[in-house]
Amino acid sequence: MPIRSTTMPIRRAVRTRTAASALALTMALTATACGGDSGGAADGKTTITLGYYAEAGGPADGTMRKLVKEFEKANPTIRVKIESADYDKFHTRLRTQLAGRKAPDVWLSDGVLVQEFAGRGSLRDLSGYASELNADDYLGVDLIKKGDPKGRLYGFPQGAQSTALFYNKKLFKDAGVAEPTADWTYDDLLAAAKKLTKDTNGDGKPDVYGFRSYSPSFVESWWPMVEAFGGEVLGDDGKVAIDSPGSREAFDWMLKTMYEDKVAPDPVTTEALGKSQTLFPSSVVAMQFGIYARIQTANQGKVDFGVAPLPKGPDGQRGDLANINAWVINRAAPDARAEAAWKWIEFFSGEKPQTDWTAIGEAIPINKKVTQTPAFLSPETPPAERKVFLDSLADADDLGLNPVWSEYTTALAEAVTGALNKESSVPDALKTGQDEAQSAIDRFRPAG
Amino acid sequence: MAGAPRKTLRTPRRAPRSDRPAHSARRVERRWAMLFATPYLAHLVLLTAWPVLALAYLGFTDYDTVSSPSWTGLDNYSRLLGDEAFWTSLLNTGYFALIFVPLQTVVALALAVALNQKLRFMPLLRGAYFVPVVSSWVVMAYVADAVFNPRLGSANAVLDWFGIDPLMWLDSPVLVIPTLALIAVWKGAGYMMVLFLAALQAIPQERYEAARVDGAGAWGRFRHITVPGVSGTTFLVLVLSTITTLQAFEQVFVMTGGGPGDASELTVLYMYRQGFEYFQMGYAAAIAWVLFAVILVLTLIQLRLQKRWVHYA
Repeated sequence: MPIRSTTMPIRRAVRTRTAASALALTMALTATACGGDSGGAADGKTTITLGYYAEAGGPADGTMRKLVKEFEKANPTIRVKIESADYDKFHTRLRTQLAGRKAPDVWLSDGVLVQEFAGRGSLRDLSGYASELNADDYLGVDLIKKGDPKGRLYGFPQGAQSTALFYNKKLFKDAGVAEPTADWTYDDLLAAAKKLTKDTNGDGKPDVYGFRSYSPSFVESWWPMVEAFGGEVLGDDGKVAIDSPGSREAFDWMLKTMYEDKVAPDPVTTEALGKSQTLFPSSVVAMQFGIYARIQTANQGKVDFGVAPLPKGPDGQRGDLANINAWVINRAAPDARAEAAWKWIEFFSGEKPQTDWTAIGEAIPINKKVTQTPAFLSPETPPAERKVFLDSLADADDLGLNPVWSEYTTALAEAVTGALNKESSVPDALKTGQDEAQSAIDRFRPAG
Repeated sequence: MAGAPRKTLRTPRRAPRSDRPAHSARRVERRWAMLFATPYLAHLVLLTAWPVLALAYLGFTDYDTVSSPSWTGLDNYSRLLGDEAFWTSLLNTGYFALIFVPLQTVVALALAVALNQKLRFMPLLRGAYFVPVVSSWVVMAYVADAVFNPRLGSANAVLDWFGIDPLMWLDSPVLVIPTLALIAVWKGAGYMMVLFLAALQAIPQERYEAARVDGAGAWGRFRHITVPGVSGTTFLVLVLSTITTLQAFEQVFVMTGGGPGDASELTVLYMYRQGFEYFQMGYAAAIAWVLFAVILVLTLIQLRLQKRWVHYA
């Protein structure tokens, strides 16, 4: 009995202590997991998490890391923790992080996704911060504001992309075709494409195509053509408006290039030839519509190339488009971290970082002063005519931004790709695409 | 008789005393059992039961993963009925299963029969067929590209020897699903082959010897002894393959992204897009439940039909 009477309380006490320890540990873990961290640290530094997409170890990643170090040196009270991955992985992870309330404090967003995050209440309105700056000193602020129904600024420009006609100088010279000019129309483009298309091995199939009509990257394919032929994808009222005579004309023109004149590879051949973005760098096509970032891939292919404005449609419109990639700040970030994040954005928009960023040829600098410097206008690599992108940006429309951009543009793309594959007629595809894209927009319910 | 009641009365007093150590041992055993089962139970409750319950609830909500879910009743399910893209994905999945399931079963059985020999290097060969099973889909995608790339792949080189025009394989809306099924068989048949090998080795050799004595040929022995002998495993392989196919995701995600167009958009990929690309987790949950119902019905049908052709002996 004495043994029992002493043993049991000890066991009970051990159990109680164990349970208490487990409870304490659980509470500690829960408290840690729930956050509530203001961002301050014992050493007085504020740590922010910075997310961006870039190929690991590539020039963009290297430059960004260098700039982060410079930023930390210039702002000794701020520490930056980097979270980077390639484009797809970054965005997949980001969506999961947002769901788990673990997203970075500030991240680089593809311009077309800013409204997707903002529409779901994930972003801070930067209008207050940006009021300290002169918006006229930066490119793209107006296009980001245009995406929000109330004109709020949910992202600050990081780099701009606009469209131009890329052409292979050697292939033009070999075919004896005059290089494109700002006066070119779609008829001129087609005429040149016919002369540039060559079957060099005599197997009855072109080995060099004059033009790349189709690309899954529709900003470099059917979207500018629709606009140039007088159609539009998203109307000013926010409704999908692709089912129009202008759009039909644009798609008929594309079909003609691929199946009738055979001066451009059809979608299946495009993929089979090695995916659309490899055709120009490997000189399989002599011309393509491309955004500024395609300069990098063309230079990797060691192509001697130039750029010209997009050709004019029947009414003289070019259908220029722009996408402004932007820094966004997590709405869930506490004030101290949000302010530190804004300091990073301000720093990145400065002349020195923008000049460094321009050197990698990934985007048009958003700092207007830098766009007038030799760093941008007199580059060491082709094309020499970088101003073409600035002019295009000045005339450009946005990419029909809204909170369901990915979903509605996928619905459109799937429908029109069917027509471009000749699986459906153009009128049917445009009607289906318009209905499905509009349904996606109508289904959306704003956060809150 | 006088002693009996006393005995009866004494028994209950003694019984607990004599059972006490056993009872106590059982109690200790139960505690240990509970302790060892706790990780599994915690896993079951936290990672299976709770998510399933949450999924059931989310199917009736509009949930963008950032804001709180809002109750929308049957909206997601009624949207599913009219969602052509969903039905296309379900049809694509069915088409994929129709090619993949029988093909994998036949190939796995053929491989197992061929490799069920007592020859030198046989373990090495069996291992070689198992390598794709343990390879990731990313690696498989690279290897498959070396075979099915329309310009550089070996498949078109072989066709070229016979004067046949090159095919577009994964880039063709018509060929993409059959090509994906072929690649999936290549990756999955090794595992099913191992199951069949185990079943083949469990068939008593006496049956083959008796059949041989009775004059049965190789085909006769295969048809009347091997096939019924492995029917239990064949059933297992069919059920597992069907479920695997209906849940297929990685392969199309890595190899085609659902394309060209929506030609290889399988249901789980479509569900993934809704949840993780379009922030529509409620709708994705509804798709998951419909897919679960489809898998359940198909499995029940298979269970019902097995009585007609499966022999457990």
